[in-house]
Amino acid sequence: MRTTEDLIETLAKDVRPMPRHGIERRMFLGMLVGGATALLLLTLLYGIRSDLNLALRDSSFWVRWIYTASLGVGAILVTRHLARPGSEPSRWIWFLAVPVLLLMGIGITELAHASPSEWLSLWLGRYWEVCPGRILLLSIPIFLGLLWAFRRFAPTRLSAAGAAAGLTAGAWSATLYCLHCPEVSAIFVLTWFSLGIALATAAGVLLGRHLLRW
Amino acid sequence: MATSEEQLRAMMIAGLEGNAEAHAALLSALVPILRAYCRQRVRNDPDEIEDIVQEILIAVHTRRSTYDRSRSLTAWLFAIARYKLVDHFRRRRHLRFIEDASEMPLAESLENADSARIDLKRLLEQLPRKQAKAIWDTKIEGLSVSEAAASAGIGTSDIKVSVHRGLQALMARIRGDK
Repeated sequence: MRTTEDLIETLAKDVRPMPRHGIERRMFLGMLVGGATALLLLTLLYGIRSDLNLALRDSSFWVRWIYTASLGVGAILVTRHLARPGSEPSRWIWFLAVPVLLLMGIGITELAHASPSEWLSLWLGRYWEVCPGRILLLSIPIFLGLLWAFRRFAPTRLSAAGAAAGLTAGAWSATLYCLHCPEVSAIFVLTWFSLGIALATAAGVLLGRHLLRW
Repeated sequence: MATSEEQLRAMMIAGLEGNAEAHAALLSALVPILRAYCRQRVRNDPDEIEDIVQEILIAVHTRRSTYDRSRSLTAWLFAIARYKLVDHFRRRRHLRFIEDASEMPLAESLENADSARIDLKRLLEQLPRKQAKAIWDTKIEGLSVSEAAASAGIGTSDIKVSVHRGLQALMARIRGDK
């Protein structure tokens, strides 16, 4: 067994200066590479919707994008918090419910304005079967980018950190998927986009316990 | 020499800015603190304590970018120390579990073998001594016929016949008992 003095001497040979926002930088880098990969996959596998120009003028597109992106921003904050040792999932994570509740409000208004015979088609759209699975698939590269970032982090609540990373990956994957998905109803997004994001979060919990160990 | 939170933090921040001497001084200053921390929680095995202390030091070094300079250094340090200690216990328990698992069936089969031996002895006691000894030597102890013959001071054919007759008598007795 080497002595502790030798160990310290070895460790002290490798003292590079650490940037002030090391956690943020690593997360940004990991997500940038993961997100770019996800975007490439999206383009190759599903394609960007051709009427994107038109869609950008449509409020329902923005509702969807704001929903997924605000979840994504909240999830990044939680992930960053859990990257440090000793941090507990704090109470403010309930802020993540705000976008869900807002979208729920919009969805209910939407249903109220439609006749009950249209409800099912608003809810299921044309692509409800593929949407959650695709969001889960596209979240994989983003999750891998976060796993890379976590290799220098020190999470002490592994399941929670895994959930946060999964939620981040899922929400940003859904944000990218908006570039493809032609569905417009709020209730569709609320159900099927959220299901894809939830699947990514659940996968994060299961994987986090094993893969985030250090 | 006890080092205060303020001193430790100053060394840590200097280390984060690339000052290797300050970083080495920090790690050295942490050693007695971590030893004391582990000693309270691990049974008194200096090697084991030193192992954990080294693991914590490596973690402090490799994860140092997760320290938030505006927060308490000792809180950060003990969060890492606790994680590594729990990790150490978890792995050791796992190890001990494996050891237990490999020992248990062994112990059980030894016990079974012992009780089988006792049953067999009881059965053999019912035979004439010559037959019992012939069977015991050749079938249980694993001696060859000539070795058993030499040990009993009789001929090899005598052994063969004794084994044969003895086994037949045992078979008859077991069948009869049922």
